[in-house]
Amino acid sequence: MRSIRFHGRGGQGAKTASRIVGTAAFLEGLTAQDSPLYGAERRGAPVSASTRISREPIRERGLITRPDLIVIADESLIGDPTARVLDGLSERTVVFVNAALPSEQARDQFRIPGRVTTLDLTDMTLRQFGKPVALSAPLGAVACRLLGLKAESLKAAITGELADLGLPETVIEGNLALAASCYDAVPVVPVEEMAGTPPAPVSLWTPVYEPPTLGSARISASANSPLRETGGWRTFRPVLVPDKCNGCWLCFVYCPDGVISMTKDDLPLIDYDHCKGCQICVQECPTKALVAEREQEGAGTWRAK
Amino acid sequence: MTWQRETFKKIKQIPREEHVLPGTSLCAGCGGLEALRLAAKVLGDDVVYVNAAGCFTMLAAYPFTPFKGSWLYTTMGSAPAGAQGVRDALDVLIAKGRLPKRDDLKVVVLGGDGSTYDMALSSTSGAIYRGLDFYYFCYDNEAYGNTGVQLSAATPYGARTTTSPCSLQHPAGTIQEKKDIFEIWRAHKPPYIATVAPRYPLDLAEKFARAATFTGPKLFLALSACPTGWLYDPGETPEVAKLAVETGLWPLKEAINGAVTHTYIPKRKPVEEYLKLQGRFRHLFEPTKQEEAIRHIQERVDAYWRQVNV
Ligand SMILES: Cc1ncc(C[n+]2csc(CCOP(=O)(O)OP(=O)(O)O)c2C)c(N)n1
Ligand code: SF4
Ligand SMILES: [Mg+2]
Repeated sequence: MRSIRFHGRGGQGAKTASRIVGTAAFLEGLTAQDSPLYGAERRGAPVSASTRISREPIRERGLITRPDLIVIADESLIGDPTARVLDGLSERTVVFVNAALPSEQARDQFRIPGRVTTLDLTDMTLRQFGKPVALSAPLGAVACRLLGLKAESLKAAITGELADLGLPETVIEGNLALAASCYDAVPVVPVEEMAGTPPAPVSLWTPVYEPPTLGSARISASANSPLRETGGWRTFRPVLVPDKCNGCWLCFVYCPDGVISMTKDDLPLIDYDHCKGCQICVQECPTKALVAEREQEGAGTWRAK
Repeated sequence: MTWQRETFKKIKQIPREEHVLPGTSLCAGCGGLEALRLAAKVLGDDVVYVNAAGCFTMLAAYPFTPFKGSWLYTTMGSAPAGAQGVRDALDVLIAKGRLPKRDDLKVVVLGGDGSTYDMALSSTSGAIYRGLDFYYFCYDNEAYGNTGVQLSAATPYGARTTTSPCSLQHPAGTIQEKKDIFEIWRAHKPPYIATVAPRYPLDLAEKFARAATFTGPKLFLALSACPTGWLYDPGETPEVAKLAVETGLWPLKEAINGAVTHTYIPKRKPVEEYLKLQGRFRHLFEPTKQEEAIRHIQERVDAYWRQVNV
């Protein structure tokens, strides 16, 4: 059996990538299991999905605690303690990181003890579609290659899974072309199966229960949500071209998160610690004074302080 | 007779102060948050929010809250009952002289459409019947969003959800019509009901200002374009949310003691323009266009506006 854990941000396609790998393995006659970790978190917040593939019946269930392969859709997750992307890693684990850095450099920079391989899927996807879209197909392609699954199975799996999501044929074709190049381009580090009997599963997170007499969780603070920064959610940031701004207030009025305020001179001031990069302001601006700029090194440029 | 705004005439009258602070984990581009933020600019900080389970539960995810005031979390079916308890407690404190009248708080229910149209319907009916002095703010994203987009009684005909997929038996996806909750509320004759849409911020703000002049139940239905559930890019929220109103699908109106006024009369673009922007309706256009289903949606809107006396 081989165990694969996908990590991404909601909307990046980790869940569908996990399905693609499961389906591709199934098409090759293997037994497959895949399940996203359901949380109440949202688009942009850390998510994970677990896939197991095997020639034998799979008896293990639940979150993968000892992964053979970890696929990381967004390098900014490595520094995010809540995402726990490297949990359960050993020197034998293969870690794929979607990053522009070569494997060796990524290994050092992110201090990953496992065997690391990288490819800039974000850039390849931008080049294919001209805008940021979910990375499900590229992530699935990379995982299939590292696991030694065939290109035809990958192709059939992507077609099926993306059609299930109701994506139009043109988009599916774009994804197939993109997946094929990712499949070919990723530097291969073969994923070996964990040998021997697995040790008792470790619990990743132990919930703390209070006796019901204490009542339910209570937040005694007020208006403290800004302590939680959401700037890392962005792939694109809105940037002001001050000369073009006519001070109309529309960006300020329409920002769902209230991260734009107007200065005394009626110029928008953007709070990049919290801007989630939804681009509503860019769309609303009547004079095109707000432009979308890609975050320099992928979504990870912004770091929590 | 055209509807006149008294308080909010220009965009620069929208208050600068923020009452729903950033840092919540609602999706980038959430139309529900957009609507709540604007409403809160009129409601202010002296509010107790009573929040039914749903996406808005993520507003105050332990240990963080975006509000200066209080927030209480209830089950999906019981937020109006929770509001009754909070209102009663405030009234008792005031009556006993332990809370000065000037420190009184507004009680505001936040509920998704799953709560509002389905699970909390009886609780809401009871609260209106008892004349509870509260606000009800339904952010309507037309599905059970928080649990991964399942069909609710607010999901419109022809939309695809995870529990009403496009299938051989039902190629249009959802076969039910959206429940007319506005009319169900109106049958109770509360002092104030309004529909709002965050793309029409002055209309929205004005309605909250007007509601403040009434004692008793004040209920709001807010169009909440949802990139995650409706399947479009967050940046397209403006376009989608605007077309919902401009096609006539989301009428902007109010009802004072049951008497209805439409506050904005759209020129009514074809519904197709709205539908084709969203992945949840894509099966109506691809691989083959479902003319019948699209016509059905158009005819329902036409029929609605025919009976509106404008
Ligand atoms: C009685 C009950 N059933 C199911 C749930 C699980 N649940 C939590 S949030 C949610 C979705 C609520 O949908 P809606 O009211 O439309 O709000 P949204 O999530 O769309 O914001 C569900 C089904 C619950 N909390 N209570
Ligand atoms: S799922 Fe929709 S309604 Fe819920 S937080 Fe996301 S955008 Fe808002
Ligand atoms: Mg809903």
